[in-house]
Amino acid sequence: MRARFARLTLLFVIGAARLAPAQTLPSEPIALASGHVTVSGDVSASFGSADPGFFNYTDYEHSTLRLLRLDLTAAVKAGPHFTLLGEIRSENLGVVRPYALYLRIRPWTTRDFDIQVGRVPPTFGAFARRTYANDNPLIGYPLAYQYLTTLRPDAVPASADELLLKRGSGWFVRYSLGDAAFDQGVPLVSAFRWDTGVQAHATVGMLSATAAVTAGTVSNPLFSDDNHGRQLAGRVELRPIAGVILGTSLARGPFVSQAAARAAVGDGHDAEFTQTAWGTDAEYSRDHYLLRLETIVSQWRLPMAVPPPDQLALQTPLTAVSTSLEGRYKVRPDWYVAARYDHLGFSDLTGAAETLPWDAPVTRFEVGAGYSIQRNLLLKGSFQHNNRDGGRLLQVAHLVSAQLVYWF
Amino acid sequence: MTRTLALSCAVFVSCVALLSSVPRSASAARPGAIRGRVDLKRVAPQIERRPGVADLGTPAGRDLPDLLRSVVYLESAPRGAFETSEGGHAVMDQRNETFVPHVLAITTGTTVDFPNSDKFYHNVFSLSKTKPFDLGRYAAGNSRPIRFDRAGIVRVFCDIHSHMNAYILVFNHPFFAMTDAEGRYRIENVPPGTYGVIAWNEGTSSETRPATVPDGGVAELDFTLR
Repeated sequence: MRARFARLTLLFVIGAARLAPAQTLPSEPIALASGHVTVSGDVSASFGSADPGFFNYTDYEHSTLRLLRLDLTAAVKAGPHFTLLGEIRSENLGVVRPYALYLRIRPWTTRDFDIQVGRVPPTFGAFARRTYANDNPLIGYPLAYQYLTTLRPDAVPASADELLLKRGSGWFVRYSLGDAAFDQGVPLVSAFRWDTGVQAHATVGMLSATAAVTAGTVSNPLFSDDNHGRQLAGRVELRPIAGVILGTSLARGPFVSQAAARAAVGDGHDAEFTQTAWGTDAEYSRDHYLLRLETIVSQWRLPMAVPPPDQLALQTPLTAVSTSLEGRYKVRPDWYVAARYDHLGFSDLTGAAETLPWDAPVTRFEVGAGYSIQRNLLLKGSFQHNNRDGGRLLQVAHLVSAQLVYWF
Repeated sequence: MTRTLALSCAVFVSCVALLSSVPRSASAARPGAIRGRVDLKRVAPQIERRPGVADLGTPAGRDLPDLLRSVVYLESAPRGAFETSEGGHAVMDQRNETFVPHVLAITTGTTVDFPNSDKFYHNVFSLSKTKPFDLGRYAAGNSRPIRFDRAGIVRVFCDIHSHMNAYILVFNHPFFAMTDAEGRYRIENVPPGTYGVIAWNEGTSSETRPATVPDGGVAELDFTLR
């Protein structure tokens, strides 16, 4: 699989480089039916170091540093009030999945108020809506949106000791209650799936507000609900002057699946085991530089099952805090440099033997550069320093990667 | 693209190539003009906004660029045309997510100001070989200049709004004209002689057509593009 991916990536890079001067690839969105239908695409091919510490994995097989991602996006305008938007995506030439599919309704054409129904864009946070490779100045993702914690919605630990035993293995973890199979944990906020529900968005002057009711939670967006409860999410964004964006987000919803909750504490409690997330973000840009800061606090309440005799019960909520600081500077029209500092920390949990953060804290520093071969063809390179304070896997990793991005 | 390259080459070559074909009596004769009309069989399509699937709401409305304007120019310039390269000023505004005008034809040495008339940021840039530049992000009411010293075509974009685009055609002679809303043009002060004339619209250029300017008179030349 990896060899095939490497060959395909190479083929894409060579092909794009050959085609670039001739501009035979489309450089603008394709418009059909007098502009009522627009189609655009994003292709990104990343190839980098092996990541035996699983710092960049989004699930058991996919690392963001070794990823061929194909996105096809379309908008169908049906008059001034209705637009149908959709996106299909394939990663490493795997199954093509509907990433987004929703109807945008604008009840009054003169007011900035929209209702979106379906698989809608994330309400929470800032980065989740700009995960496209041409929006991300680096190759890696912020830890809060990608790094897999050891928590799973469909399986829960029976004790604090069981959870502590899994520290640093969120890429492939299993627990004694709920689904017994190995699977990946969840990030604080998923950048790889969108939730399903209803969203309303309004803008008045420099202030905009969004509220949504969806099936999953920010760390586990769903197409159909797996427990009795919906997530409520809200975001307020202030743009006091050009170049400044200040945002804050809140989300709360039942996280643990009905099956896992039943296995831990019996029927009728699954709506109690929630994920609550709060985020704040700021962006400042001027001239040739851009700065972004985002902090996310997430708390999970898991069912507290009766632990085995020699172990301590889980104490909840389990808290995770992430901080991400990102900067980009354009050195020349076709060159930029960028850097991101990321830290992901976890609250302490007391087991029978010791008290530790419930998952191993992670720090990442990534620096990189981008070169525009043409306006819509970008070559990036980056270096990552990753450090994980605990767990059984590799604790320090230095990773390099390159990425070719094409969009139209 | 091939035609775009052809135009670039033609503009460059005009510095030298036509000197040999310039009438020797040009400086003593009364200048004339070339006028006519450019008929567009098909208007170039607008660059649409990318589907904003990740947007939380409908994006703000924008103005549409005027794609009907064409540029008509002499493929090669008369002797002495390059001696007057006074650096003038021109303006390309950024208004309602559109560059206004969409096409600007200037001579080398001209400084173009790029004011931002929107309430939000724009980031004007070009990766063209003729004049790569990036003005960075600046707010409403501010303007930044760029001087164009080389002839050629400069494709201008906004780094924030990918549908915003414009053309700047830089000539090293003054013998060019923009068409009006009806497609009419008039190139003034052309010394008498026979010239190759080209019409250009949105990256498409015509074949070179001959026009003979009589002493103090007007040559008529119409084009059809696309």
